[in-house]
Amino acid sequence: MKPIIRTEDLGKYFGEMAAVHAVNLNVQQGLFTSVIGPNGAGKTTLINLLSGYLLPDTGRIFFRDTEITRWEPHRRVKIGISRSFQVMNIFPRMTVFQNILLAVLSRLNKNSNPFSSLKSQKAAVEEAEKILNEVWLWKEKDHPASQISHGDQRLLELGIAVATDPQLCFLDEPSSGMNPIERIKVLELVKKLAAERKTTFVIVEHDMDVVFSLSDRIVVMNRGKILAEGKPDEIRGNQEVRDIYLGEEI
Amino acid sequence: METLAFQGLVGLSVAMYLWLLAAGLTIVFGVLGVLNFAHGSLFMLGAYFAFTFYGLWGINFWLAIALSLLAVGVVGYLMERLFLRHIYHLDHAYQLLLTFGFILIFDDAVKMVWGGVAKIPAMPSFFEGTFSVFGRLFPFYNAFIIGSGLLVAVVLWLLFEKTWWGRMVRASASDREMASAIGVNIPTLFTGVFVLGAMLAALGGALGTPVRVVAPGIGAAMIIQAFIITVIGGLGNLKGAFVGAVIVGLLSAYGILLFPVFELFLIFVTMAVVLIVRPKGLFGG
Amino acid sequence: MKKLALLLLVVLLGLLPLFVGKYTLYMTIHIMLLSLFSLGFNLLLGYTGLLSFGQAGFFAVGAYACAKILLAAPSLLLGILGGVAVAGVISLLLGLLSIRHTRIYFSMLTLCFGMMIFSLAWKWRDMTGGDDGLVGIPRAPLEVPGLFRINMTPMENYYYVVLVFTILAVYLFYRIVHSPLGLTLQGIRDSETRAACVGISVRNYRLISFTIAGLYAGLAGALLPPLESTVTPPVAHWSHSAEPVLATLLGGIYTFAGPIVGAALFYILKDIIVRFTEYWLICLGVIVLVLVMGFRGGVVSMFYGKGGQR
Repeated sequence: MKPIIRTEDLGKYFGEMAAVHAVNLNVQQGLFTSVIGPNGAGKTTLINLLSGYLLPDTGRIFFRDTEITRWEPHRRVKIGISRSFQVMNIFPRMTVFQNILLAVLSRLNKNSNPFSSLKSQKAAVEEAEKILNEVWLWKEKDHPASQISHGDQRLLELGIAVATDPQLCFLDEPSSGMNPIERIKVLELVKKLAAERKTTFVIVEHDMDVVFSLSDRIVVMNRGKILAEGKPDEIRGNQEVRDIYLGEEI
Repeated sequence: METLAFQGLVGLSVAMYLWLLAAGLTIVFGVLGVLNFAHGSLFMLGAYFAFTFYGLWGINFWLAIALSLLAVGVVGYLMERLFLRHIYHLDHAYQLLLTFGFILIFDDAVKMVWGGVAKIPAMPSFFEGTFSVFGRLFPFYNAFIIGSGLLVAVVLWLLFEKTWWGRMVRASASDREMASAIGVNIPTLFTGVFVLGAMLAALGGALGTPVRVVAPGIGAAMIIQAFIITVIGGLGNLKGAFVGAVIVGLLSAYGILLFPVFELFLIFVTMAVVLIVRPKGLFGG
Repeated sequence: MKKLALLLLVVLLGLLPLFVGKYTLYMTIHIMLLSLFSLGFNLLLGYTGLLSFGQAGFFAVGAYACAKILLAAPSLLLGILGGVAVAGVISLLLGLLSIRHTRIYFSMLTLCFGMMIFSLAWKWRDMTGGDDGLVGIPRAPLEVPGLFRINMTPMENYYYVVLVFTILAVYLFYRIVHSPLGLTLQGIRDSETRAACVGISVRNYRLISFTIAGLYAGLAGALLPPLESTVTPPVAHWSHSAEPVLATLLGGIYTFAGPIVGAALFYILKDIIVRFTEYWLICLGVIVLVLVMGFRGGVVSMFYGKGGQR
């Protein structure tokens, strides 16, 4: 099966330090993929390179058959890639509903329309309402995004990420900064989205329960390189992987 | 040919005022992340203070310069401590609006204190006169200015490369959190850098008083020049400030010679060209 | 309720010439011009998150272009629309140069370009009349050939022209900010990164916003020459660019009507201040300082984000 996204010898260096080095990644369509590894392994840098937030120093990136190595983020979104951020990135002054609506309008290529009222964009409004329900935020619909709870903001972040109806969606530590109750909710939502949508999810996570229960494939990174990849059982049994986690239960 | 060479010298002396102005602006931006719109006003204040001390009160020239630096240093200290310090952590728009407000205040303040008419004080006697170069007569004072500018360049280089304070400043510029973590007193450092920037601007203004017009409005004119220099040279880059100042100085000198009346527009066009070709400036990025 | 108040306001403005003198009418026209000027400015600041210190440049382009047209072909409509069009083109071109940068750099560039236009207005004698400016600009009749021709000599007539243009422009602005485009701009203001990551080309939309702001500044500028019959370089000066900044700060950045209310407040304030002192700029500056320092963080936060944090 053809990979939905793959990299050739991808590298990103900050001075002497290799944040990402010689990475040859293959993500298969439809397979929920997790990227794990100790802190500083290069996981977020990898996501940033794949989503266009950072440009690589070496190597190439292919989305299906198209080379997207130096494409700007908004272009990558237009061909079907989206992401969520580890540090929350929502539109704080806009309402929760408007947050989602904007993403939907972008997907429908309607956001340059300068005259028609937002209400009249029936298709976009309906879709945004559907997504709002999907991420359990209907109650918060008209509240400014900066004023909802931290946990709900994370749900919103996920909602925005899927509102562009992506083929490939990167979730960078979606449960980071959450208290235990919020974490459960967020990860439940991830599970739900993965099950119900046709999107291929690539998630960076530290919660091993989630990683091993949800993933079809796991990629392990260490010091900027890919240490191992494979099915969860293969990874669990991999001695090198166990070593870098130094006895943690995986 | 000789005319061109001579005009180049003229341009170089103009460039040195601009260098002093741009150096302070770029250092403050590089370290504090603040683009001080009122920086040109500090240049203007330096000129006014020097005019008062040297031109009106007859104080010794060198002492007058030193006092002007001190006076503007105090103004800069108050600006940073009372106002800017409290908005560093906020959206950049705050600092831009605040410093823009300061331009408005300083512009009228000098009119209130010194009146609206331009001033031209006398040249200190030991600098009077000219010498012959490239077949024309070049004022000693201008040569002094060129020398001073180069001296300041060397001093700043030594300061930032060789001294302990300079190293702390550079560390704070590139990673504020890290510097704070290793014990650098960031607030005090920031005040110090801001005052340094203010004094550099004041030096430019003060040194200009014997030969340049001291008038309200030169503050705003200077800040535009400083901005253009940072566009050409690169924002936050000291080397870029020097090169940019030289370029703008030469452009204005040759502009007056070759495109009179529109020499200022020529400088703006150069800025626009740099923006297209090298958006981050010659040394930026 | 709001609609009723609005209707009352429009009726009041419509009946104004019947019970006030020429000076008040003149001031009201100026307030309307500043309102248009400030609305455009706030599309950039309140809606898109960009702070421009050079809008007076486009105001001046609109004013000078209208003046040149009226001096050559005395048709009011041609002058006004021509002024707006030229201002739009210039703002598009300068926008292309300015918009590709960080927001601080952008603000710096706007000050530079505004003053570049000022220096042109001041030095290009052949075109702009230099520091004497353009004089003898006729308050040309409002005419559509073959349909109607209305004499503009009485100020009341010109007042109505300005009023109609203002109402139309304000209505248009309302439609724009409540449209998908308006929402997109606000998204860019709230989070440039997030906007890009939902597929928005931040650069393109900032340029659109900048051009619309330039068109509004140009309209305000184009409506000036028929009123004053002269146009001089100070209309392009940065101190004129300060007016929409202050009006918007006074009236409120994050509201639709803020710039309009602020424009009125600005003129009232100016009227009061100049009776006591000629040092008008210093008062402006102090007001800016108070507004900026008084609103940082806190309950009434002037700028977006979690209490205005970077």
